[in-house]
Amino acid sequence: MKRLWIALLLLAGLLAGTLLHTWSLDGFTRGLTGSLERAQQLAQADRWQEAAALTEEALQNWSDRDVYLHVLLRHADTDQIYAGFREVLALLGSGEYGEYAAANARLVTQIGLLSEAEQLTLKNIF
Amino acid sequence: MVIAFLRTIILYVFIIAGIRLMGKRQVGELEPSELVLALLIADLAAVPMQDFGIPLLTGLIPILTLLCLTMALSVLTMKSVRFRAVLCGRPSIIVDNGKLRQREMKRNRFTLDELMEELRMKGVTDLSTVKYAILETNGQLSVLPFAAQKPPTAQELELHLPEPGLPVILINDGRLMRQALRLRGLDLTWLDRQLRAHKVSRVQDVFLMTVDETNQVLLLEKEAVR
Repeated sequence: MKRLWIALLLLAGLLAGTLLHTWSLDGFTRGLTGSLERAQQLAQADRWQEAAALTEEALQNWSDRDVYLHVLLRHADTDQIYAGFREVLALLGSGEYGEYAAANARLVTQIGLLSEAEQLTLKNIF
Repeated sequence: MVIAFLRTIILYVFIIAGIRLMGKRQVGELEPSELVLALLIADLAAVPMQDFGIPLLTGLIPILTLLCLTMALSVLTMKSVRFRAVLCGRPSIIVDNGKLRQREMKRNRFTLDELMEELRMKGVTDLSTVKYAILETNGQLSVLPFAAQKPPTAQELELHLPEPGLPVILINDGRLMRQALRLRGLDLTWLDRQLRAHKVSRVQDVFLMTVDETNQVLLLEKEAVR
């Protein structure tokens, strides 16, 4: 009977760990997309420097969790988002709002999808 | 990650159900849950091993989940007869008191050719000599002949035969198994005597040497030395 409890405890631990990861990733990506959306509003109001600083901060937050993200997510997805950040920062420097807005929207969507793919929904399970 | 965890549980249950529906003949010597574990683990381990773009945890979490599920199921099958019947199935009596049960064969998708093959493998060529043939949950066929067809035992013939016990290998392809020699309470002097008795000069010239509990020796020389 002890073996059964050990197995059930481990299963419960795995479920809790994976749910915690989903919850933590959701909060993290919400923070990032929020920052990027605010940066876009600032750029629209011609406050490019503040927009760039906000995007840099978001990239810094992303880089701070690099190991965690690489261990738990597909590397192709994390690499794509990193490249997206770099593109958005370059476009912020150019001052081209149209191109920046398109790249920023793409990055926000990619980050959103990253979290959405980990959410516990029937769509994702099947 | 929680998706990987839940998908693993769903796939595991799904494949066990599939294996159970396939019938005993497909199972071989493994129980359905063991077969599913063997099928899945190899594949799960191979994916992150080959694709470096996938985190190792994507393989480790499903494998750990499967091992936990198997452990839980094995305990439950030990505790509950009903659960064991659901997971592993029940043995099917194919020949009942000398009568072939065709419906049971059909239910297990067990053909006549397979039955005859299994009987031949058990040394039985005549179906009429079989009292019971039982298809076990691991896919093996147990065959019990009629009492009149069984070979007589030493006890039935009232013979008192010595019990030789388990033979132990002392020399394996020219190599002396010193621990086996010691465990049997024998020494190198005894070994030398035995080699001389069999006209062998060196341990290296022996292919196989065994000794049973009554110290009966079997010695086979290497072919090359002859």
